Amino acid sequence: MIDFNEELKVIGEYKTVPLAKGVQRPPMPKRNTPISPLENYKRFIKRDKPIWTPTGSDFITFIPRIIPDNVARGFVFDSDPIDNVKEAGGKDMFGVEWEFVPVVGGSMVRPGNPLKIPDITKWEEYLEFPDLSAYDWKGSVERNRHVLFNDNVTMIWVQTGLFERLISFMEFENAALALIDEDQQDYVHSLMDRLCVFYDEYFDYLKKYYDVNVIYFHDDWGSQRAPFFSRATCEEMIMPYLKRVCESAHKRDIFIDFHSCGMVEPLLPCMIEAGCDTWSGQPMNDKLKMLRLYGDRITLNLSPYAAFSAAPEELTKATEEFLSTYGDYISSIIISPMMATSDMYEMVYRFSRKKLAE
Amino acid sequence: MSKVQEVAAAVENGKVKIVAGLVQEALDEGCAADEILNVGMIGAMAVVGEKFKNNEIFVPEMLIAARAMKKGIEVLTPVLKAQGAEPVGRLILGTVAGDLHDIGKNLVGMMIEGAGFEVIDLGVDVPAEKFIEAMKENPDVKIVALSALLTTTMPAIKDTIDAIVASGLRDTVKIMIGGAPVTQAFADEVGANGYSEDAASAAQLATKLLG
Repeated sequence: MIDFNEELKVIGEYKTVPLAKGVQRPPMPKRNTPISPLENYKRFIKRDKPIWTPTGSDFITFIPRIIPDNVARGFVFDSDPIDNVKEAGGKDMFGVEWEFVPVVGGSMVRPGNPLKIPDITKWEEYLEFPDLSAYDWKGSVERNRHVLFNDNVTMIWVQTGLFERLISFMEFENAALALIDEDQQDYVHSLMDRLCVFYDEYFDYLKKYYDVNVIYFHDDWGSQRAPFFSRATCEEMIMPYLKRVCESAHKRDIFIDFHSCGMVEPLLPCMIEAGCDTWSGQPMNDKLKMLRLYGDRITLNLSPYAAFSAAPEELTKATEEFLSTYGDYISSIIISPMMATSDMYEMVYRFSRKKLAE
Repeated sequence: MSKVQEVAAAVENGKVKIVAGLVQEALDEGCAADEILNVGMIGAMAVVGEKFKNNEIFVPEMLIAARAMKKGIEVLTPVLKAQGAEPVGRLILGTVAGDLHDIGKNLVGMMIEGAGFEVIDLGVDVPAEKFIEAMKENPDVKIVALSALLTTTMPAIKDTIDAIVASGLRDTVKIMIGGAPVTQAFADEVGANGYSEDAASAAQLATKLLG
């Protein structure tokens, strides 16, 4: 008999960081769960006797300001927040200039800007890799210590993945073409290889200074209607390097939540082969079908379809519908941490706790 | 396989390095330039578009086919010009004000060029006035194609069409629209002549609108 009153009893709080200047999330409740949220998350992803389905206050999402990519892309969740309208955009870690688009809530490289790599056969001449030691890691840790090193899951975003990075250097069309152009492919391979070394070093800093548990690795692979590239192209040109990125994470006891927008269903086998632990995808993908096909090999990061700002009763209804739809796969999904309110947390906890105990 | 069919196959398969040579060989063998254009280029790109629509090929394959076609067109253009041939039509293309997205717009432009059009690409974040200015500068343009990726910039499609109406030029062009959030219902609502959901369909629509 599970004593939910006891397990869901609030015994403290997890502090949070602002999502932007003037946008402070309230602290999140810490509950009297049988094991810590971090231990439960690790068990969940490893499919080794988890107690409940991770969500909400199980996570702290941290996007440090000291990383130029984060300011450039307009996503900084840090105790030293930015004013997105005034400060977001600018140069990323490689010196690529991004422009923040307020209506989108994110940044992009303005088409027509000078290319970082106008000719990929000479990428080594154009590209200077960032000196990661130059960032104020110690200062950042001190400013954010109150949300780090807790027993919940520290998730950090790495905003520009392998293909997105290639796009940022060359623009979309040149990058896409380079993936299949036999005159350029060798250079794409050598650049990807060097990027893997960079991500390995980057992850090392994230582990050493923040003790990160999950890296939310961004790499959009599709449009509204289809993947940008074929599975064969992905297997040849991207997947081997994503595999190395995952290995860089795993050897440091970090999990990879692979964020890939667009209709990318046909590429899920590549994510699995690469070793991604979870996939955060968009609604145009048939998530139930993906769970049926691949739910035993990859965990899906899903959300009830309700606005973050919806009224409590709407969120409750959305969560009920969500659990009714995806309940059979409760051991193969996690709930997007940004979405969950306290009520949602309790509903998911109660539902999954019983299911996972069966 | 005839030389023109060889050209078509090379374009379809994105054989950038050999298309120009094949087009020259076809001309040397006495093939008509308009046949090379219509079958070897436009026909091949129609096949590419269909395969793209059906997810048999993806963006890189479409881009490389378009690049191969351009190599062939470079050889063909002087011959066609000498014969007094004109493009199928001229079309103005752009992403509307406030929207910086160009991937879909560029793919549409490529496929429409592949259908034999001359495309005047105004780029991204294009204010309504710039579309009107381009229409005035190019009075033979028959189609204006507007793109928006965001629900938040869709209203700029309507604003652009309204401005074209107010300029008195609406009757001189057909207007087609597209982009991820755009629908046929929205096209009807804003008074566009057509909507297409992907680049290949956009090329077919442009040809249809030309009547």
